Amino acid sequence: MRLHEHPELLDRLAASYALGTLRGGARRRFETLARQQPAVQAACQHWLGRMASLTELQPAITPPPYVWTRIQNQLQLETTPRLATPPRGAIGWWQSLALWRTMAAAGVCATVAAVVVGLQVNQGLRSEAGAQIAELRQQLQATPQIQYVAVLADEKSTASMLVTIDPTNNTLVLQRVSGFQEGGDRSLQLWALPPSGAPRSLGVLGQGPLVKLTAAEADVREVPTLAISLEPRGGVPGAGGPTGPVLFKGSLIQRML
Amino acid sequence: MQPDTRDLELTTLLDRVARQDASALKVLYDRSASVLFGLAMRVVRNPEWAEDVVQESYLTIWRSAGDYRASLSPPMAWMGLIVRSRALDLLRRRAAERADRTDELDETLADTLEGDAPNPMDEVQASQQARALHRCLQQLEQAQRQVLSLAYLRDLSHHELAEQLRLPLGTVKTWIRRGLIQLRGCMAGTI
Repeated sequence: MRLHEHPELLDRLAASYALGTLRGGARRRFETLARQQPAVQAACQHWLGRMASLTELQPAITPPPYVWTRIQNQLQLETTPRLATPPRGAIGWWQSLALWRTMAAAGVCATVAAVVVGLQVNQGLRSEAGAQIAELRQQLQATPQIQYVAVLADEKSTASMLVTIDPTNNTLVLQRVSGFQEGGDRSLQLWALPPSGAPRSLGVLGQGPLVKLTAAEADVREVPTLAISLEPRGGVPGAGGPTGPVLFKGSLIQRML
Repeated sequence: MQPDTRDLELTTLLDRVARQDASALKVLYDRSASVLFGLAMRVVRNPEWAEDVVQESYLTIWRSAGDYRASLSPPMAWMGLIVRSRALDLLRRRAAERADRTDELDETLADTLEGDAPNPMDEVQASQQARALHRCLQQLEQAQRQVLSLAYLRDLSHHELAEQLRLPLGTVKTWIRRGLIQLRGCMAGTI
């Protein structure tokens, strides 16, 4: 059909096509005509452009501020060199933050039991993750005075850092459990986020898989959340708050048992 | 700000984003996020999903800003198409995940014949092309206008529209047909 000789029909078809309500065989026939006849093609483009403007006309709603933080963190991850991803088979399991929280609250012994059960039921778990868990288990068994536990996760809820605090010995042990590794010119810094007031630095992390910091119970008492930000090498100079994006975050849980 | 000045500013920002300038992405976000979040909410009707859509969309913009110039679209419309496409992807994923529980999804999407009219503030923010469309849409009856905009934003067929809006199929078809005829008459001679 020489559609361009019927401008009104052409325009109506092009409008339905762009709107999306022209479907099935009619849509395919129209697409064929658009490939053959420049006038059809032009009408099509014209209406697609007009309809696209509908996206501009919806009532504006301000998104919550953490949406930008999430975008920024994601960008940081994409542009950070030497970024290792966690073993694929283990991701689903490690991501279960709810499970981690439950385990932490139930106490260390229960944690170890759940880790073993988790190992048995998850066929996809790779040996790297198994090694991590074994290491984790050893560490947990070796530190019986742990009274606070936090699992810090990234914005996809992938568990990335395990924090245990032993107030009797004033030690805070932080273990990397995902493959995240900051670039050589950067450092990770751990923060206590009190319910009111500015974040308080708990220390700057070394590059190794296990980090030991000094922390008194007063540093973390009543603190609901810990967070880790990406900072210039050596951490934030002076006594200011975090300057880089927050990569990992999690609730601090006091052991019940 | 005049819309044409705004388009120029957004285009310049997109050029900088194409050169992987992260600070330009932040400014672009500040200028456009509320319009795009409003759009995402309109399509998916769930704040958490809309937040995910907006996050994915800005990352898509970050990766593909280099393609923007070739699209010849106003910058907001180009970004709007990315958001619409990410939002539709999300709805499809959700529909597939919950194929046996589609009733719930329909519940979420139903009841939408309300509060569609863009307010004057939004119009000031829109491109010249969008303002022309807005003026023409304002001349339609509210129900016609909303059915048209939902058909496009959620990529719905006559049948799906009738189902989601709980309207007779004939009514939906008539509204769309008449709406498009009127829109066409009004848009003729504009850009």
